[in-house]
Amino acid sequence: MNQNQPQSSSSEGRTDDDSALSDFLASLIDYTPTIPDELVEHYLAKSGFQCPDVRLTRLVAVATQKFVAEIAGDALQHSKARQASIPKDKRDRQQKDKRLVLTMEDLSKALREYGVNLRHQEYFADSPSTGMDPATRDE
Amino acid sequence: MATREEAKINGARTETLITISNNTTAGIRGSPDDFGRATAKLAVAQLCEATGFHSVKDSALESFADIVIRYLIDFGKTAEFHANLAGRSQCNVFDINRAWEDLEAPRGFSNGMREIMNYAESMPETPLAQPIPNFPVIRERRNIPSFVQMGETPPSKHIPPWLPALPDPHTYIHTPVWDERVSDPREDKIEQARQRRKAERSLLSLQKRLLLCNNNRNPNRNGSTETTTTIPSNSAIGDVNEDADVNMNVSPVVLPAKLSVIDGDRVSVLEAFAPAIEMLGNGGLCDEGFEGEKMVLPAVTERPTVHFKFRTGKKFIRESLDDRNRKKALHAISLVGREDERDDKKRRAEYILRQSMENPQELTLL
Repeated sequence: MNQNQPQSSSSEGRTDDDSALSDFLASLIDYTPTIPDELVEHYLAKSGFQCPDVRLTRLVAVATQKFVAEIAGDALQHSKARQASIPKDKRDRQQKDKRLVLTMEDLSKALREYGVNLRHQEYFADSPSTGMDPATRDE
Repeated sequence: MATREEAKINGARTETLITISNNTTAGIRGSPDDFGRATAKLAVAQLCEATGFHSVKDSALESFADIVIRYLIDFGKTAEFHANLAGRSQCNVFDINRAWEDLEAPRGFSNGMREIMNYAESMPETPLAQPIPNFPVIRERRNIPSFVQMGETPPSKHIPPWLPALPDPHTYIHTPVWDERVSDPREDKIEQARQRRKAERSLLSLQKRLLLCNNNRNPNRNGSTETTTTIPSNSAIGDVNEDADVNMNVSPVVLPAKLSVIDGDRVSVLEAFAPAIEMLGNGGLCDEGFEGEKMVLPAVTERPTVHFKFRTGKKFIRESLDDRNRKKALHAISLVGREDERDDKKRRAEYILRQSMENPQELTLL
């Protein structure tokens, strides 16, 4: 702590952060993330992560859960946008609106922003542009 | 190519689990990671449902679960890297913090843990639908007991007693199994002779029957044609009744004739049993011993001898000694008939049989 002035605000922020973090860790003991502890521990052990503290594994689990939720949300928005853009009858749309299905297409679009290039093979080629890079395709 | 099936995630949770397990077992081989993958799919499907999806495509679910697993591994790797960088082997919260920032870097500078905290507070707590056991399951291994545990001393000094014991000698040394039976050469010879006599007796009875058949056929042919046709049915019944007591007389006669042959190997059957055969000359024993079968005499044929069913010409003599084969052959009398492909075998058989009938001295057994 050589320079108090510029450090004080940040140190306060940091202590706030630290206290918040410690509080959060304390609350994590009660919170059960959707991704089970055993699963997280197994894959962390596979990669060399060693920690006997269960709160840290829960922290990692929550972080992963957030990751999944974000991607799922993005994919949901993509599928909703697709449903809105398809020109269809009002009656069909109402019936189909109930079914929101996560498809590979929506998932790959959502993952592209995360740097994951997911390319799914087309089951059948019904147009000349099938199988081409999606960025060049006309949408 | 993944099949496009929809996994319904609204409704019973067990449905999803069953679908997942079915998909994993549909593959050729199960990898050790299958359980982890299946659980990850389950968790991801649950989270998707919480987000608002009604159902998930199977291929999408698999890819998503795969990505989540990679994310977890990446997170752990990065955290471990930071811990090692600081000179530690065990991770703490600060390592996780840095790892998080590393992972979130592509999306812009993150707010640190705050994001996670906000998320956790906003989300309602939804644990996994089914509790999963601790995995991977460690199998208890039974080690080979050491010398000390077995209570043995190692054979030589250079082997310490805490090493696993040597295997039992019976596992690698072939110990011969001795036959406990005492062999008496005299008993063996007697037994051998007895078996030979038995074989001779059966051969004799066969030839007896053949002779009688021939004898019966020859006088019958000269007789009326009516009797010829009725011979099969009547003689079968009549002769059995007639010869019931003749047979009883035959057996005691047979034995003394046999006992008179002491000399071992070479015996002339017809010579020895000539008296017995003459005694039975009157009886029509042709049809006996066929166990109620109707013997169809080839009444109109000119063949004087019986047709045996043979496999090869060489085997003839040996097979004629065998009771079973003979019965089969006699049964084949009715079946063989006039088949052209067996003609030369028959001719050979007839020739040999005629020879044995005509030259009783030359007939040798064994």
